[in-house]
Amino acid sequence: MVRNKVKTNDIHIINLAKLVSSPNAILYKEEDLLAYDCDGFTIERHLPRAVVFPKNTEEVSQIVKYCAENNLPFLARGAGTGLSGGAIPLNNEVIISLVRMKRLLEVDLENRRAVVEPGFVNLKLTNSISDKGYYYAPDPSSQYACTIGGNVAENAGGAHCLKYGVTTNHILGLEVVLPNGEIIEIGNGGIPDSPGYDLLGLLTGSEGTLGIVTKITVRILKNPEAKQTVLAYFDNIEDGSQAVSDIISSGIVPAALEMMDKTAIEGVEAAAFPVGHPKDIEAVLLIEVDGIAAGIEGQIEMILDVCRKWNVREVKAARDEAERGRWWANRKTGFGAMGAISPDYLVQDGVIPRSRLPEVLAKINHISKESGLRIANIFHAGDGNLHPLVLFDSRIPGETEKAIEAGSACLKVCADVGGSITGEHGVGIEKKEEMRFVFNDEEIIAQTNIRDVFNPDHLLNAGKLFPTPGRCAEVKRELSSKN
Amino acid sequence: MSIPNIEQKPACTTGSLGNYLWSDPPKENKWADCVHCGLCLEACPTYEQLGQEQHSPRGRVHLIKSVAEGKLFVNEAFADPVFQCLDCRACTTACPASVDVGGLIEEARGQVRQAMPLTGWKSMTSKFFLETLFPHPERLHAAGSLLKFYQKSGLQKLVRKTGLINIMPDHLVEMESIMPEVKTPVRKKYKNEKVIKAKGETKREVAMLSGCIMDVMFSDINESTINVLTRNGNDVVIPKNQTCCGALHVHAGDREMGRKLAKQNIEAFKDAEKVIVNAAGCGCMLKEYSELFHDEPEWQEKAKEFSAKVEDISKFLYDIGYETPKAELNKRITYHDACHLAHGQGIREEPRDLLLHIPGVEMVHMPNADRCCGSAGIYNLTNPEMAGAVLESKMANVPDDVEMISMGNPGCMLQMAVGVQKHGRNQKIVHTVQLLDWAYQREDELGGGE
Repeated sequence: MVRNKVKTNDIHIINLAKLVSSPNAILYKEEDLLAYDCDGFTIERHLPRAVVFPKNTEEVSQIVKYCAENNLPFLARGAGTGLSGGAIPLNNEVIISLVRMKRLLEVDLENRRAVVEPGFVNLKLTNSISDKGYYYAPDPSSQYACTIGGNVAENAGGAHCLKYGVTTNHILGLEVVLPNGEIIEIGNGGIPDSPGYDLLGLLTGSEGTLGIVTKITVRILKNPEAKQTVLAYFDNIEDGSQAVSDIISSGIVPAALEMMDKTAIEGVEAAAFPVGHPKDIEAVLLIEVDGIAAGIEGQIEMILDVCRKWNVREVKAARDEAERGRWWANRKTGFGAMGAISPDYLVQDGVIPRSRLPEVLAKINHISKESGLRIANIFHAGDGNLHPLVLFDSRIPGETEKAIEAGSACLKVCADVGGSITGEHGVGIEKKEEMRFVFNDEEIIAQTNIRDVFNPDHLLNAGKLFPTPGRCAEVKRELSSKN
Repeated sequence: MSIPNIEQKPACTTGSLGNYLWSDPPKENKWADCVHCGLCLEACPTYEQLGQEQHSPRGRVHLIKSVAEGKLFVNEAFADPVFQCLDCRACTTACPASVDVGGLIEEARGQVRQAMPLTGWKSMTSKFFLETLFPHPERLHAAGSLLKFYQKSGLQKLVRKTGLINIMPDHLVEMESIMPEVKTPVRKKYKNEKVIKAKGETKREVAMLSGCIMDVMFSDINESTINVLTRNGNDVVIPKNQTCCGALHVHAGDREMGRKLAKQNIEAFKDAEKVIVNAAGCGCMLKEYSELFHDEPEWQEKAKEFSAKVEDISKFLYDIGYETPKAELNKRITYHDACHLAHGQGIREEPRDLLLHIPGVEMVHMPNADRCCGSAGIYNLTNPEMAGAVLESKMANVPDDVEMISMGNPGCMLQMAVGVQKHGRNQKIVHTVQLLDWAYQREDELGGGE
């Protein structure tokens, strides 16, 4: 066993160092902790107390036990690509980094499942099984770097979730370290639909507030026999939105149906993976259908008919796998690409009924004008999941606050048309106040009561997901006095 | 990105660069492109090994920015992540916004070296190689002759046999055992020829960077380069006053020396229309000279003009439409992308195309071919442990069933040779241009026999 030497008087650091066995498995000096003061959400920054790197479940459990016994706040972190601040140590937490638990433990093609450690990178799973004709369906845009553990915490989505569902639809079993250090397994060895409460569903998307996932059994799928990808360019964003709505209502379920507006196109074309989208169009749709080879052509024809009905300027089909790959790289690096046209961005994650798309886009446009900040729109149009990207420059005093306000206003619009404030990025720190747009106080308390069953002392990832007490606490008192 | 309490603590501006106290600090416009998305993480070989974010591209950019924001000082804790970086540029390829992490790292190293000058043994060795040896061709050639004497005289055998070799640190032993046979540098060989004439009709004249290590350790690659250039209608000149490109100095944070060498090369090649380079690391440096002259606008202009003339041999041949060889080589070959060719200069397809068009060459795919081998200039000497770990990952991807591994950079060649030797394999390490040259030679031999 490697001993991790530490030079500090902090007894907790000294003790935590004894619980991890791989080399350099603890960081505790301020300079070393700086890189952990935020994740993909950069507006809030807080230093952790330490970062520890366990190499197995047992070490995670020991660390959690130690933290629980000593009243130390703690949280789990993967690649830190989350966009809502779920891995930011608001309360000087001990960060339990799971990136060294990155093994692919088992591939069971017969039963179409794989078992991975939480630090295993999403895309690596598909890469490891693609030669055998299989893949892992949830494909968040950060899949080059994000970990499956993080995907479970956030119930991550992705472009292809329109047809195949989000992470929760692909999780068959979990090993979890509870906030008291106890190790439990849920999901009955990967047999789908076990009796009793759906704990897998509860844990998936709980944003690291109920437990720390240390092993994951996922569903893997056979590669579709055929797929076809097309780009459709529209001169008018309303036409593009109507086309999206009509494609879905015509009964086709594309594998993916993505949309980018003019500002977003400007960003991706200025960045590292341009594909030559025309500069003067208002919207591009990236449409992919897959399935049995015989049905593909017919589906594409139906989609093209709809596009033509809505005055599409041009459509083109990917000539080969390489071109398809370039189109997807262009789309999937869209958020990061904003760096090419703006020093900072804040991405929102609203969901709306597809039929309200034109109206919502007009309102977002209005918010942009009011705030004086540009807003780019990249979204999973097929399932109504919008990603307005508010572009700003944090070096200009006041602009960060303005961006936060504009982002919040976008979510209000989504909530008001009967939608939701998050489709796949999670609530984290970013959207906890906006939870009030969709839940009243009683509903929020009902949920925090569930959290308290698992995490009664609030040591695990506190201050995330639900609005800060205050009003909530008052309502809670009021409710209990009524009982 | 923003910092907490934005009202009390205004973010820095170009005018106040926090704790960077020396000239030529990391440039704000470079890190302003980073939105902290993290897509670079998996591209980074040191993050792959350590799993710690201060050793990842976005972590390093974050720290570089933190110094400018006054949250961190230029000290050991900053120097460690900045110098652990291989400067392999894989992150820039992966980055949606093409953040110039390599440029930031090099500028940050410049600050570190001024804040904490090297002392003792490290300073002496670094001075010896970077100041006393590399910039002076005559001394390099003398060292080359010594090396040659060492190899030819039997001394090498003696050292290996007697176990004297075991007194060298491990990684130096590895390097010693794979040193190529030293031949006559082309700068010496052609010193009396102003122009090496094209074979057949002259279509153009090009100048060649002979390189420092390249010409001493791998003069046969320079020879091959001259052969393929002249074969394709190019007169070749080797300007006398050229010197080391300065890449190793800039990687080490010695930007002052880098500027000196850059100026000398800009002058030495001022009459050339094309500057042909066969070492990826050098080519990349030459193309980035303007980065060294942010405080000297006049030189920055000259540097830009110079860089526009620089081209890697593989891309140059591809672009001019070279003559495809007709003789067969019959070899199974895999190709390794040198970082400073693929990530640094965006040259990936051209060398592969060259190889594919040699009759009888069977190309075998190397997974993650553009992953760093750990050579990274002199990184394998300064950070042997990490370089070794990175090499192990690389070797795991090198297909077993090939006879040769082709690439376009001398540093990679030495490092990959160590890898092949360590793993008891028997693959030959070759430069792409050598294979082309051999194919031409065989064609001539066969043609002569007809």
